[in-house]
Formats: sequence, C-alpha cells, structure tokens
Amino acid sequence: MCYVACRELNINAVYIGLEPLHRYEIDPHKCTYPTCTVCLAYCPAEGSIIEAESGRSLVPPPPDVHRWWLKGKSGARA
Amino acid sequence: MHPVMAEFLDKWIWPTAPGAPGAAFRLRITEEKCIPGWEASFNASIGEIEKGLASGNEEWKRRVAMGGYAAEGVQMSIKQMSAQLLSINISEQENYIDIQRMRARQVWDECKHSKLHVEVLMEKGWIKSERDLLENAAAHTQPLPAYFGLSMMFPHIHPLARAAQHYFVETIACLGIAAYLSRVDDPMVRHEHLSQRDEEIMHLMEGKYIIDTYCGTPNEQKPVEETLDFLLHRLRVAL
Repeated sequence: MCYVACRELNINAVYIGLEPLHRYEIDPHKCTYPTCTVCLAYCPAEGSIIEAESGRSLVPPPPDVHRWWLKGKSGARA
Repeated sequence: MHPVMAEFLDKWIWPTAPGAPGAAFRLRITEEKCIPGWEASFNASIGEIEKGLASGNEEWKRRVAMGGYAAEGVQMSIKQMSAQLLSINISEQENYIDIQRMRARQVWDECKHSKLHVEVLMEKGWIKSERDLLENAAAHTQPLPAYFGLSMMFPHIHPLARAAQHYFVETIACLGIAAYLSRVDDPMVRHEHLSQRDEEIMHLMEGKYIIDTYCGTPNEQKPVEETLDFLLHRLRVAL
C-alpha cells in the first residue's frame, strides 16, 4: 500500500530493495517525510515503517506526525 | 463505543491522505452506516465468544474453524476473488491497475487463511488432514449470499463497487480478530486469528484507499454506497 500511495502522488520513494530479501524500502532522498506522510495512512502492518532518527514505529500514524484525519485525535481534517 | 473498537478506528480508519477526493464521502458513510454495523457485528462476536467460553467445551472452536474454512477455503477464495478481478474490464485497466494488483494479492491471503483454520482442526484432533474436509459439507457451507453471491455481481455493477465490501466487511473481519484476541487464551485460536490480522487490515486498507482516491464524484460514490446498503441489509438479516 505504501508503494501504491506514494506512486499516486508521483513521489515514487518506495522501491523493492536489491538485497536478498527484496523488501519494500523507502528512498530517503526522494521521500519528503515529515512533509508527506501519506504512506502511513494506508500501511496495514503495525511497526513496519520506522522513523530512522528515533527508531519509533510510524504505523499506525502517530497524531503528532500525520496531519490528515477524517476525524480523531489531532482534530485536523483532510 | 467499546474501547477495542474505538482504538481500532483511531489506528486504522480515521487517518487519510491530504486532499483525498473521497474523504468527505468516506466520513459520511463511516459515521452514518459503517460504525453502527461494525458495532453490531463486534458486539455479536463478543457475545458468541463469551457463550463459547462459558460452555466449558471446545465445540465452539471447531465451529469457528469450520466456518472460517467454509468462508476462506481454497475453492471459495479462488472463485470469489476471480469474480472480483473480473469486475475491471480490459478497457478500464489503465485507470485501475493498482486495484487489480491488490485483488490478485488477496487470492493468496484468503487461501492462506483457510490453512490456519485447518491447523486448528488438525491440532485439536478433529481431522487428520485438509483432505478430510473435502467430504464434509459443513466445511463448504456458509450462509451469507452477500459474501459469495454479491461477488459474482461485481462485474455487472461497477469497477469500484467492491470497495464497499473491502471497507465494510473486511473491517468486520478485523474487529472480529480483535475480539478474539481480547478474550481468548487458547494458543491455537489466537494463532488462527493473529496470523490473519495484518492481511485483513490490508484488505480494509484497499477499500479505504479506493474510496479516498477514486470516489470523488457522485458517479463513483453511488455504486459503492448501493453495495454498502445491500451489505447492511444482509447484516441486519444475519444478526
């Protein structure tokens, strides 16, 4: 889902890694986090995207980072 | 609202994307229609679990595993998902290619889930292998025409109609899993549900993403809402 959501915005920061496990990876040079956090809103796997600096999980999206909610903790609206 | 459900909504339902064309539509159907249905279904799950736990035997665990197999068995899953893949015809594929990709992935998920139900039945000694289920009608019978019958209709409704089932029904699956994990200690029953959790959330996310991204006008919203209304009708009949 992160791959799909990122590509929809034409940022294209998500790719499949060349290493033997071929995991989905995020290119830090293309990713605009924390300006964009759209991948976090649609990622289904808790803890699968980590903030590099702090090591904290970003899935599901923490309200202090993700700004777009239908309603809820942050009070912000899309 | 039950705290397990409130936490689930905060984590997985309310986050959206900036400027999502279908966000206002998703908020309306979620508040007006989905949440009452989700609450009814979640409460029914909790009630069934409590009844099972109070029974003092394991028959309910066998019933859950058999019902799960009937709904997610290999034959059912391949047929159901094939119909959903066909709901996007060749001329529309360039608009909805990512939806095709997500649905193709779900075929494997559903087939894997049937294996989890088999593992419970085998571990508890109710069957020796999955082949035992091929002769058992109860392992291939489920009572929801909306689940399989409606799937057969998707190719005739709209390429996006399936989003209603993904968003509404797969959330019911997620909440059911949360209910089992909050109440049941049996390691096999927990395994049966826990191992499906991320995948069921993935299916919910597909519906959420499709509604947010593609359902920005009444033309795209109408078939989704009509499908949702049918699913709600079936839920009212079932409960």
